[in-house]
Amino acid sequence: MNTLRILPKYCCKKTQRFCRLPVSQNRFYARPTSFPDFFQNPVFRKEDQAKLVETTDLSKLAAVPVKPPAVYETCSAYHDPLVNKVINHVMEMGKKQLARSLVEKAFENIKRIQIERYHLASTAEEKNKIELNPKKVLHLAIENSKPLLQLSPIKRGGITYQVPGPITEKRSLFLAIKWLLEATNEKERTIHFPEQFAWELLDAANNTGKVVKKKQDLHRQCEANRAYAHYRWQ
Amino acid sequence: MSHVINFSVKHLLPVTKCYLRGNFVSSFCKYSSASNSTSNSGNVLDNLTDWETLSKKKKISKAMKAYLERAQEHDEFMKKQQQEFAIGKRHLANMMGEDPETFTQKDVDRAIEYLFPSGIYDPAARPLMKPPEELFPARKAAEFDEAGRPHHLLFYTGKPNFFKLLYDAADNIKQLQNFEDRVIRKKATPDPNGALSLEGSVWLTKEQLEQVLVEKILDLEYDNFKVVMERLVSLPYSYRCKDFIEKYRNTLASQKFALEIPKPSYDDDGRAFITTYECLRKKARGDVTIRSPGSGKITINGKDITYFEDVQSREQVLFPLIFTGMQDRVDVECNIEGGGPSGQAGAIRWGIAWGLRSFVEKEMLEKMQIAGLLTRDHRRRERKKPGQPGARKKPTWKKR
Amino acid sequence: MLSRNWRHLCRRYSQAVTFRTTEASPAQQNEKQIGLFYTMNQETCKQLFSQGGFPKSFQKQTKTFTETAIMIRQPALDLINCIKSSDFNKPAIRYVLYGEKGTGKSLTMAHLLHYAHEDGYLIVHVPWVSEWLRRLPRSKEMSNSQTHEGCVDLPLDAASWLLHFKGQNQHILKTGELKVSKEYVWSKREKTEAGAPLAQLVEHGISRVKYACDVVDALIKEIKTLSHNKQCKTFVAIDGFNSFFYPVTRLSTPTKKKVKPEEVTLTTTFMELTKNDWTNAVILLSADQLAVPDDHQESHFPRYLLYKKGFEHLDPFVPVEVGRYSEKEFLSCASYYRDRLWLRGPPEIDTELKFTSACNPYRFMEQCAPL
Repeated sequence: MNTLRILPKYCCKKTQRFCRLPVSQNRFYARPTSFPDFFQNPVFRKEDQAKLVETTDLSKLAAVPVKPPAVYETCSAYHDPLVNKVINHVMEMGKKQLARSLVEKAFENIKRIQIERYHLASTAEEKNKIELNPKKVLHLAIENSKPLLQLSPIKRGGITYQVPGPITEKRSLFLAIKWLLEATNEKERTIHFPEQFAWELLDAANNTGKVVKKKQDLHRQCEANRAYAHYRWQ
Repeated sequence: MSHVINFSVKHLLPVTKCYLRGNFVSSFCKYSSASNSTSNSGNVLDNLTDWETLSKKKKISKAMKAYLERAQEHDEFMKKQQQEFAIGKRHLANMMGEDPETFTQKDVDRAIEYLFPSGIYDPAARPLMKPPEELFPARKAAEFDEAGRPHHLLFYTGKPNFFKLLYDAADNIKQLQNFEDRVIRKKATPDPNGALSLEGSVWLTKEQLEQVLVEKILDLEYDNFKVVMERLVSLPYSYRCKDFIEKYRNTLASQKFALEIPKPSYDDDGRAFITTYECLRKKARGDVTIRSPGSGKITINGKDITYFEDVQSREQVLFPLIFTGMQDRVDVECNIEGGGPSGQAGAIRWGIAWGLRSFVEKEMLEKMQIAGLLTRDHRRRERKKPGQPGARKKPTWKKR
Repeated sequence: MLSRNWRHLCRRYSQAVTFRTTEASPAQQNEKQIGLFYTMNQETCKQLFSQGGFPKSFQKQTKTFTETAIMIRQPALDLINCIKSSDFNKPAIRYVLYGEKGTGKSLTMAHLLHYAHEDGYLIVHVPWVSEWLRRLPRSKEMSNSQTHEGCVDLPLDAASWLLHFKGQNQHILKTGELKVSKEYVWSKREKTEAGAPLAQLVEHGISRVKYACDVVDALIKEIKTLSHNKQCKTFVAIDGFNSFFYPVTRLSTPTKKKVKPEEVTLTTTFMELTKNDWTNAVILLSADQLAVPDDHQESHFPRYLLYKKGFEHLDPFVPVEVGRYSEKEFLSCASYYRDRLWLRGPPEIDTELKFTSACNPYRFMEQCAPL
């Protein structure tokens, strides 16, 4: 063992730049970044930071390098990760400003409709039921349109069966947003996107409308195809 | 069979041991096969007469010969290169008019850059002059001796250094566990101060480990290595193997820099101010000045925050101020140029956060660090590659 | 974590900040009520602003808030005091409102219109000049003017303006005191005699769209003589006046030639109106960046927006700047929005909004929309 002579290290010049890492090392992070593996995701929202303060010691966490927050993320109270996700899905060709203005106008429309209903409602109970915060309406709408199972095509003996199976949280969220946007894009030519989107969100929040119907159809299909569920393991 | 003979002879003739060992090669079995059939100690002893030892040809296999030749060549080559490098360095020092004795590697690099300016993009393609140890990859020295007997215990695994490392780690784990048992038997508790703190460091990357071990490793093996080392670290008495562990950790020294608090200077009105130069983000460049007893005024290139038309950029500029709660207590002045709205906004955000370090408590500083406000965003636009429409986009995939 | 300022802010909220005032008459409003909102009577609103006068976004807000509330601000009060103390025997004073986009020029004008209406002025109000010169629906009806050679008429626009005029000045026109001084011959069979009430002239213009522009011309001349003769006091309000001086309009003749503002009859009419050769009147104009296309919106100052011609035409005038919200006004606006359920969320949002919108009233309203 002592006869092993290790010659001095060969310094690789490239590792000084943050080069692209192979895909296997990106699997731990929510978004693929050009920062190396050991960079932690930032925690900047007040509530999240408060939670951290309770559980762990700050100085230990501060010693680890942290990625910077993205351009559209702030610590203010009116920043919502779900809203940001929806804006990203609405965005086409990288036009973030346009996407954001469309979604904000949709929220404005929701607010106006709801305030109108609020003023028309007579009793205090009814008034309490009406949700005036457009972000909460969005949350409700997405909650109501998230599917709980999905159908995957599995081929057995030449026939492709639609087999019901579990669905991850992320995929279910993605499907909910995708269906909402698809339903909005099937609109009349004269109606603008924000108005149609506002109506779709309000419908979904009330458990009515095209999107919820689609979700319920999917659930019914899954129920009908219950018999094939064992094909997942065959 | 020959091995049996070898062993018995070795035992019987300790004097000739070192001499005989040189002859004991795998092809030696052919030589001794003739005497195998009638092997008894007497015959063997008879065989080993003086004339045998004198006229015996040293049967070294071709592979061994070639290997030894190559090793010798390499050594000579390296020696020659080192000589040339030394001479070249002295010439260079003379050319630059500096003292050859105190000419360091950094000076060499600077001189080469000056004498051979290159516009080539890739630094590895530019002219360089480094000591031959750095330029030529390290090779393992002779892994086995002339007889073909390997020096290393685990040579036949193919990656002796790597597996030795794992073996050492496993050994350490066992030792620590034994120590723990002994401590428990004595009913003592572990010393909390001696706990190993690994915050500011990470395990060596696969490439770095390959360089240390001078061997290629698979991804799977690297993951395995990390698992074993994590296990070692997780034991309560891991501080006893601190040296072993430190060898395979990379310190991230740059992080401490962010948590140092610089002192503000005072301007004519007696207000404390601090200027951060070189605020970069993508192509935006600028500098940010923060003045302490202020009223929340923000000036960008002489204009109000209305310099940015869109809300997102304005929010980004306000982000560090609102995070630390200083939006009414400081004045911000920035000059920025280049880049687009979000690049400029990002640069200003970093500049403000970096400047606010001096006006904020330590706890808030740590919070800012955890929020990532103090990290320099080094991402740049990725270049377009030839044969592809964009940086990552590939042309339409055709099945055939 | 909350700084001292924030704690004060939160305490102020808990003490039920007043943002309203019950003083609904602009003439009685005084300096103490700056930053407070007063509600306008619905009927007055309908009478004065049914055809324009409020910006479109504000109209939507009135619908959502189910009321029309205007904030009392310094420039408006200054103007009211100036008008009250001005000498009506001297030539008419011209005031020019200017400011950045969205600071409240049109609403200040609306506030003053309300005051004028209460005080019994005869109101000549052009809601938005660019509507005529720059807004092009599919087919813009234009005709060649008969009275002015080489000029272009906008009959429908003129007719709708006459309707607006009639609506605003109903109570004055009904009394029938104002009479036409000259005789106007429109065609072989139609003519308006001298001594006929002004209402008749206006009716004629509304019913006979072909002659609407000429009717407007005649009307303006009549109003000038009537004011000069002290039979009525006039309040002229024109929003987006600088649109008249922009080199080119969006209109084009059937021969595809671009029309300049000077070639539109309405321009000449209102240029006549804004000259200071008559007395017993108040002229309020506004120079707005939004009235000209985006390329020429570098600065909001009147010298830039009015071009040389406009500046010379209006010289001398009194410039009045309408600025952004002050601290107090901002707080009051924020609490009004909260009261009307337009803005919801924790109080910390207000400081952020203050910076993000830079205290610009329009931007603030825009940014509260999705919250």
